[in-house]
Amino acid sequence: MFNIPKPKPEDLIRKTFARFTDEEIIPRAREMDEANQFPRWMFEKVATTGAFGIRYPKSVGGAGGTTTQFCVIVEELARGSMSVAAFTAMQCLMGTNFLFEYGTPDQHERLLKPAIRGEKVASFALTEADAATDLGGVKTMARPDGDSWIINGSKTWITNAPVADFYTVLCQTDKSKGLKGLNFFLIERGTPGLYVSKKFDKLGTRATEISELAFTDVRIPFENRLGREGAGVGNLLRILAVIRVMTAALSIGLARAAYDHSKRYALERFQFGKRIGSFQLVQQKIANMATDIWASELMTYKTCEMIDRGERALKEASMAKYFASEVACRASDEATRIFGAYSYSMEYDVQRFYRDCRFLLFGGGTSEILQTIISRECGVF
Amino acid sequence: MDIVVLVKQVPNTTEVRIDPKTGNLIREGVESIINPEDRHALEAALQIRDNTGGKVTVLSMGPPQAIDGICEALAMGADRGILLSDRIFAGADTWATSTTLGRAIRKIEQFDLVLAGRQAVDGDTAQIGPQVAEYLGIPQLTYVQKLEVREGAVIAERALEDGCEHIEAPTPVLVTVLSSLNEPRYPTVAGLIDSTRPRAPIEIWNGADLGVKAYEVGLAGSLTQVVKTFTPKGARNTQYLEGSPAAVAAQLIDALRKKEIRLGE
Ligand SMILES: Cc1cc2nc3c(=O)[nH]c(=O)nc-3n(C[C@H](O)[C@H](O)[C@H](O)COP(=O)(O)OP(=O)(O)OC[C@H]3O[C@@H](n4cnc5c(N)ncnc54)[C@H](O)[C@@H]3O)c2cc1C
Ligand SMILES: Cc1cc2nc3c(=O)[nH]c(=O)nc-3n(C[C@H](O)[C@H](O)[C@H](O)COP(=O)(O)OP(=O)(O)OC[C@H]3O[C@@H](n4cnc5c(N)ncnc54)[C@H](O)[C@@H]3O)c2cc1C
Repeated sequence: MFNIPKPKPEDLIRKTFARFTDEEIIPRAREMDEANQFPRWMFEKVATTGAFGIRYPKSVGGAGGTTTQFCVIVEELARGSMSVAAFTAMQCLMGTNFLFEYGTPDQHERLLKPAIRGEKVASFALTEADAATDLGGVKTMARPDGDSWIINGSKTWITNAPVADFYTVLCQTDKSKGLKGLNFFLIERGTPGLYVSKKFDKLGTRATEISELAFTDVRIPFENRLGREGAGVGNLLRILAVIRVMTAALSIGLARAAYDHSKRYALERFQFGKRIGSFQLVQQKIANMATDIWASELMTYKTCEMIDRGERALKEASMAKYFASEVACRASDEATRIFGAYSYSMEYDVQRFYRDCRFLLFGGGTSEILQTIISRECGVF
Repeated sequence: MDIVVLVKQVPNTTEVRIDPKTGNLIREGVESIINPEDRHALEAALQIRDNTGGKVTVLSMGPPQAIDGICEALAMGADRGILLSDRIFAGADTWATSTTLGRAIRKIEQFDLVLAGRQAVDGDTAQIGPQVAEYLGIPQLTYVQKLEVREGAVIAERALEDGCEHIEAPTPVLVTVLSSLNEPRYPTVAGLIDSTRPRAPIEIWNGADLGVKAYEVGLAGSLTQVVKTFTPKGARNTQYLEGSPAAVAAQLIDALRKKEIRLGE
């Protein structure tokens, strides 16, 4: 018996999720978008691959994977449907991370493991009406009361809120401490005083549901504070690089979809007796898309490697997210120009890319705030 | 029930390119995938194992890269993977391929059921399953679209051109399956990661491990030789006949006569 080198796991993962996207998502992407609701069947289908546990160890039903592998998965899914990629990312990362790190064994049994199996939906609530880019403005209050916490306040723009089984919610415990008074709390659906608004009608990612949450004297057990007192923002910072690089990976997936469609159309559509791809101005668009995508890939996966080596990478992740999300928007814009009037038809996918790309600009930090952060990281502030 | 599943790596493309010199498929630069029907064979094996216990072994003959398919099969849930890889296996026709696979199955010894795809999307002969069964001297059930296992037997529904057939066969038996049999699961991410670890249950067997001589396998052991491979010119010249039925019939007879097609005088 002799030895043959084993393939790299990320290559096998990419191949599997590329096939999953081609076979399961792309044929249904338009239908899911038009239905304008959370496709639980697709959520469950993704769960059968074990993707939701990619970042977590086997002890909780995970796969013990890396940030690189996680990004490969969401990139491939985003090539088919930004909505599916977005709820997968939420389930793998923001919605479950603090429950995994700070939850009790009982919470892991009841919530985390079922979430990884795709039986429960997770959600993550930071944003408030007056606290968005500036999380220092969070007003939702958590007040200790015996062996419980009492939560009052509200959140908005919360992905999965209408369908989630549990929420990781950022609350203030001591206004005088500002950012140091922020903590995450685990709140389960059905807790008295928790109100979930009707879902928002939105431009893109229409197969994810978003709504507001309101808390009126919501009483939760003391152990539902996830993390040490006052450590909320610090803990958030520890996964911020992963959130940003993940959003960069989503962006690459969408940009590739826009590029693939554009390329096909440029070779197919005839005007002036020629393929439109034979016109230099169309070629320029294709060349720029391809170049932008390659640059995004290099930035994103180089940053993933840094994170996987345990390096800080906040600057690099901010750059990757800023660059790749702008690339996704540029690529979908160019795709609409190459498709001309057909990009304006709801029967072509390009309009969906054009709507969905806007999603990438806000979560994980807007381009404006990211540029501010990058400059600060560069020492200019 | 102990099951051996035959899994072939095939190029993932509908436009198969052929080397004009050798007449062989050009595999370079084309991503390889598990032959689609083989996923269904593996799914059937996994379901049977999950119901009745036992062990699923995947067996593949191919170049070193075929290990990817073995990894994917383990990530779907197979217990053990064996890759038959050796320079002397190269250039095998279906006879030599069947001989090599058959030898390996004999070496595995313990098996009740061998599952294979009906047909590989590249070679397309549908010969391997039947030939391996002949080599092993066991019954074969081909074109199976439903499969049930009993103590010491399998009951299969075979798709025929104009219906189907229910057949029972004693084990050990070889079954080739159609994609209508089931819906294969996807590999799991945990499985994919584990399959690439050093301790993954993958064995590589070469000619010496099988105890075969170079002239029995590969190109040398092949009974057929590719003289020439070409894409047939699909240019059909369709002629539409118009007019009354009698006029069309007359034109048709004239046309056939012109082509010297005898009309059964
Ligand atoms: C589809 C979608 C899903 C979302 N899902 C979630 C979720 O699951 N959970 C959650 O908590 N939130 C979620 N959000 C909210 C998201 O995190 C916020 O949109 C984001 O924080 C930006 O806030 P804002 O849109 O209110 O913009 P604002 O913060 O109001 O900013 C408005 C504008 O001002 C600019 N700006 C603000 N501050 C500065 C500054 N210091 N310097 C320069 N420019 C500045 C911004 O760049 C932007 O252009 C979601 C949003 C969307 C669109
Ligand atoms: C006349 C002839 C000459 C050939 N010469 C050459 C040559 O010179 N060089 C060359 O590279 N190829 C050659 N081939 C192709 C090669 O022999 C076949 O690809 C191979 O034998 C499998 O046959 P198939 O693809 O038709 O599989 P099929 O019989 O259609 O496959 C049925 C099933 O058998 C199993 N199976 C098939 N092959 C394997 C395998 N390798 N490992 C595990 N399971 C398997 C799978 O379960 C598959 O679904 C030749 C083929 C023919 C017909």
